[in-house]
Amino acid sequence: MKRTLSCLLAAVLATAASVTLAQETIKIGAPQPMTGPDAPFGDKFKKAYSLAVDEINAKGGVNGRKLEVIIEDHQAKNPLAATVAEKLITQYKVLVLTGGRASGQAIEIASVAQRLKTPYVVDHPSADAITAKGFDWVFRQNPTGSIYPEAFHKFLMEVPGAMPKSVAVVYDNSLFGKTIGNANMAFMKAKNIPIVNDEAYPVNTLDFRPIMTKVKANNPDMLLLIAVSTTDAILMTRHAKEIGINARAFVGFGGGFGVEDFAKQLGPLAENVFSSAAWAGNANEPLTKAFNKNFLATYKIQPHEHEVEGYSVIYVIADALQRTKLTGNLEADREALRQALLKTDMQTAFGKTKFGNWSGPLGDAYTNQNIYSRDHSVMAQWRGGVLMDVYPKAGAVTNYIFPDPGSKL
Amino acid sequence: METILQSVVSGVLMGSLYAMIAVGLTIVFGVMRIINMAHGEMVMLGMFGAFWSFTLGGIDPFVSLLIWMPAMFAFGMFVQRFLLGKIIAGGELNTLLYTAGLSLLIANLALLFWTGDYRNINVAYGSPPMRPFGISVSVPLAIAFVLAIAITTGLYFFLSRTDTGRAIRATAQNPDSAALMGINVARIDMITFGLGTALAGAAGVLLAPSLYLYPTVGEILVVKCFVVVVLGGLGSIPGAIAGGILLGLVESLGAVYVSVAYKDTIGFVLFLLVLLFRPSGLFGAGRT
Repeated sequence: MKRTLSCLLAAVLATAASVTLAQETIKIGAPQPMTGPDAPFGDKFKKAYSLAVDEINAKGGVNGRKLEVIIEDHQAKNPLAATVAEKLITQYKVLVLTGGRASGQAIEIASVAQRLKTPYVVDHPSADAITAKGFDWVFRQNPTGSIYPEAFHKFLMEVPGAMPKSVAVVYDNSLFGKTIGNANMAFMKAKNIPIVNDEAYPVNTLDFRPIMTKVKANNPDMLLLIAVSTTDAILMTRHAKEIGINARAFVGFGGGFGVEDFAKQLGPLAENVFSSAAWAGNANEPLTKAFNKNFLATYKIQPHEHEVEGYSVIYVIADALQRTKLTGNLEADREALRQALLKTDMQTAFGKTKFGNWSGPLGDAYTNQNIYSRDHSVMAQWRGGVLMDVYPKAGAVTNYIFPDPGSKL
Repeated sequence: METILQSVVSGVLMGSLYAMIAVGLTIVFGVMRIINMAHGEMVMLGMFGAFWSFTLGGIDPFVSLLIWMPAMFAFGMFVQRFLLGKIIAGGELNTLLYTAGLSLLIANLALLFWTGDYRNINVAYGSPPMRPFGISVSVPLAIAFVLAIAITTGLYFFLSRTDTGRAIRATAQNPDSAALMGINVARIDMITFGLGTALAGAAGVLLAPSLYLYPTVGEILVVKCFVVVVLGGLGSIPGAIAGGILLGLVESLGAVYVSVAYKDTIGFVLFLLVLLFRPSGLFGAGRT
């Protein structure tokens, strides 16, 4: 009697298991900062993923299976990013990873993904190293850090009289900060522009006045500010203006220079500051236009680069999944998905996406880096609290103001 | 010349705020032998207090000191009476772990209620800065500096001229003898912890207009304050003041004349040097 019962129970359990297997969602893991100073960014990605996943699932999912994004909080701490990536892969058994938010965390996640043979499609972190280490499990749709300043460098070369007489470069000691700092300094050296300040500061500096005092003493023609943390971006701009640095242009690199808080908290001090960072799709493309409209309607928030990146990466993954035959064997499925990602060639709200191996502006050998990245660079400027694309001319919404007429407070 | 003046001024201004946070930490240690790991969170609570009274009530952050200093004093007394008081007898290690736990609790409750968003207070006089002698002095920071001096001076007179102040100092020197002389040591402990918390909260209120705030901002501040306190000599108030100003100056001058990247390194090298030649800190009396 007892045996019959247990047999019956086993049979019932087995059927239940096979039923759930067929209906089980396809899991995408995303380590993001949901608490701590970078929490607002985690929230942006969460919204973006949800929008894409809801759209895809409403249309019946991918090959009949629904998508699910599992977000794990890494608090913007590098070691924690590695821990949660491993947790997502081994405990939650996600098929693929995305997210990461900042380069320092993404490089940790990339190493884990490579070691545990799980595809990792990077949506926002930009340090070159992430796709320059030969990791064949790591893909990236967004441009690398050394491509970020491309539009700014074009601006300097193409606009008459824009080439500075001297520059001061202030960057944080994170992977992102050093990448962008070096990309800019390599450009300036190639053009024989004197770099009067080369200052690396620790992330979350409380007081930028000493640095800016030092910069002011050299009276640079242009001031390049690089910050991975938004609080640093805001504080360093405020302190630079407070100390009275009188440069022809303040050029910011990094997410913090492009968020609405930058203008909200700095007020008039933000006016005419350039932000050479954020590619948020070409607003004239139909896919991007539709996304901007939908996102605004859903969340009542104007989307920027983070949102369009997070939204598009889900479509890149879904597109590859569509072309993957899932067997239920996690290892085989991950490899099959990696093969499918290699064949990606599509248009998303972010822009054209096709992964390939090529050489970056500083000579880095990229693996699985979006081959259209060099077209994904834009320079914007803060005007009356609104960030407007000003260069290159093709995608500009308004004319740039240069030199900065109100550089002195 | 302008550069050196500017960096000295910036250093002293920041240093005065380090000093004020450190004074709160040091008197608690001096009297109660508690290394309060939750001190940074008390600063954070002060910052949030100033933020909310400014945002919701339109109260100027510096005026809101009148609300938040007494409130934080009461909060400190409460924490000492109902949470810490029972564990003090267990020794320094126990209280260290206990306050570390308390720090996590406060920071995470703040995360829960206020989310991880960073905020800041934009006062109307935030910019432009004053420009005496061609150097730039931020107005909110200058006001904070003046108030920090006023509060610290007030504390000094309280400790040296009033009966309660004398009782606090007596307890710091020798709790057993103090008790024998008729001092209610338990009451003094409560007042001292309240004072330390009020100073931390006040420092938070003063810092809020010059800085940004989020629930875990205490972490950044408290590390510096431990350096300051040990630098000046654990338990010594003049030591904490001197240590704070010294750290501010060293960071500022070090950033300008050596390297920004080594700013913190310079601070810690100074710290090691002081401890090497004066193991009990600049003003430390050593253990008696």
